[in-house]
Amino acid sequence: MPAGRDFREDDVRPAQSSPPPAVVVTFVAAICAGIAGAMASGVMAWMAVGAVALGGAFFASRTAAPRKMAAEIGRARRLLLLLDRGGSAEAKVPPDFVEDWAQVYEKVNRLSFEGRNPSSAPQADQLKKQVELAASLVRDGKDPLVEAPELRAGPLLPLLECVKGSSSNPVVNHLSLGEEEELIGAGGDALPPDWPKPSSEETGPSVGPAFEQGLRDLVHEIESLRTTLGGAAGGGTSSGSEDPSLRTPAQLVDAVVLTAADGIEDLAAGLMRANELASVAERVTNRATLLALNAALEATRSGSEAFAAIAEETRRLAEFAREATDTISRLSSEIEYKVGETITAIHATSNDAKTALAEMSGSAAPLPSNRSARVQVVRLLDRSRELLKSLGASESGAGSGGAISIHSSLEPRNSAQDNVENVPAPAEKSPVEGILLIEGLKPGAHFES
Amino acid sequence: MNLGTRGALTFRLGDYSFAVRVEEAGGILDAERLAQLPGVSDPVAGVAAFRGEMVPVVDLASYLGIEPRVPEGHRYALVLTRGPDRFALLIPEIPKLIPGRELREAPPDSSNAELGDLFDSMLENDQDHYHCLNYWRIFETIIPPVGSSAGRSTPMERGN
Repeated sequence: MPAGRDFREDDVRPAQSSPPPAVVVTFVAAICAGIAGAMASGVMAWMAVGAVALGGAFFASRTAAPRKMAAEIGRARRLLLLLDRGGSAEAKVPPDFVEDWAQVYEKVNRLSFEGRNPSSAPQADQLKKQVELAASLVRDGKDPLVEAPELRAGPLLPLLECVKGSSSNPVVNHLSLGEEEELIGAGGDALPPDWPKPSSEETGPSVGPAFEQGLRDLVHEIESLRTTLGGAAGGGTSSGSEDPSLRTPAQLVDAVVLTAADGIEDLAAGLMRANELASVAERVTNRATLLALNAALEATRSGSEAFAAIAEETRRLAEFAREATDTISRLSSEIEYKVGETITAIHATSNDAKTALAEMSGSAAPLPSNRSARVQVVRLLDRSRELLKSLGASESGAGSGGAISIHSSLEPRNSAQDNVENVPAPAEKSPVEGILLIEGLKPGAHFES
Repeated sequence: MNLGTRGALTFRLGDYSFAVRVEEAGGILDAERLAQLPGVSDPVAGVAAFRGEMVPVVDLASYLGIEPRVPEGHRYALVLTRGPDRFALLIPEIPKLIPGRELREAPPDSSNAELGDLFDSMLENDQDHYHCLNYWRIFETIIPPVGSSAGRSTPMERGN
């Protein structure tokens, strides 16, 4: 497929009736070959039969290829939508998926479901940037593979190439206006008129394997992402013992309480030490008081004014020490009382938090600390969705089993970005639930074609 | 009025306020830790070191049969001197030094009879009345001089 070829109006053939099935074409070709053989004789008869048979076979292949390609695109598109929705533990393999596609579907679904937890990672950022770039170029009516060289090496390359190539197939033109709205959502951005640029040189049969290879690359990319993230969802079960982001909310509450308890324990130890020092200070004060009293006693006995002056200064010093000691003791008592109150408040808050978490169906709720990561994931899904809309307009799902109603169950669709901004605080609503609600699904709902 | 003293150390013990003339007082000690002596009678609380000498410490409350208002706590030893002799009274609080100009002689009251022959004089100021005792007699009753047959009994018992 020559990239960058100028777009021509005649590259897109107008909509026609559905092509005849390959079996019918082959049957007609065989009859024509028989008639030609009966009308001629000798070598000419065999040549006529062969020519008619070759023509019929070629025509049959041209009529069968678009259907096969459209089915492949439809299956791939389901997988992309599955990625978009984050997968589901209850998802089942669609009945029209053959063995290879069933394996890919299960793999993608599992990875998508397990991949809902990971925090931000370089691979995720790279994939997100590529999707954003591709979507942006598509919106601007440009060819991503021409305008962005980095997309030629990324995991989206096979998908972009095969979909771009598939636009030359007549099945694209069979899509009615209503079907297109069903595919891309009412009021959604229409596919740019000059992308993908059609090509008359590429044929359908070569598109299916490329598409599948692109999906496999994408799956590999997700697997690498999961590995890089330290087995965040390894085997579908997370121990939650090492990575703090994988702990359940109840465990996080316990961790917070333990941390606070450790801090207060240190504070109590320091307070005990302060009390010991206050006791020592009190003892020193008593000694100073006794010293002042003995000095005053000797001054009184001797009648010396100089001794009396020294005794008076000593008394003042003792009084000052007494006041300081009393202040220290009072502050120590107040701090001790407040520490006790704080410990009580922490335990009460911990119990309240656990109760609240239990009411919000507890440990299955995502972690507050992952909110930023989830927001990034939702943004990534938003960009991916835009790309899917653009891709969906370039393929035909009508009559091929590949038509998928993306937003048929939705109200007039808002931007996913708006939904991200409105994602409630983790304590109020689960972000995963928010992601599912974006798609008009309830938690636990599985993908249906 | 000349009291014959420059001042007095005063302290409370039970319901009584006592005074020790400064001429008799040698100093104040912290009696938190006293060295106990074996085989001595109850009023002797132990011995304490005062300026390099061992001084017997007598529990005044125990000797007088008075329950101190503060049962337990920090205690102090008020050292009395008479020539080369010294002994200390165990008291529950740091005594206050009242200058002689603020003190005056007071007539004896009924409580003096309970103190018996230990009573010496009565002092007063604007706040309180203070009993001055013959403290050395206490010491002599506990540790009688050679040849003396003074027995050991509380002043309250002797008063009765």
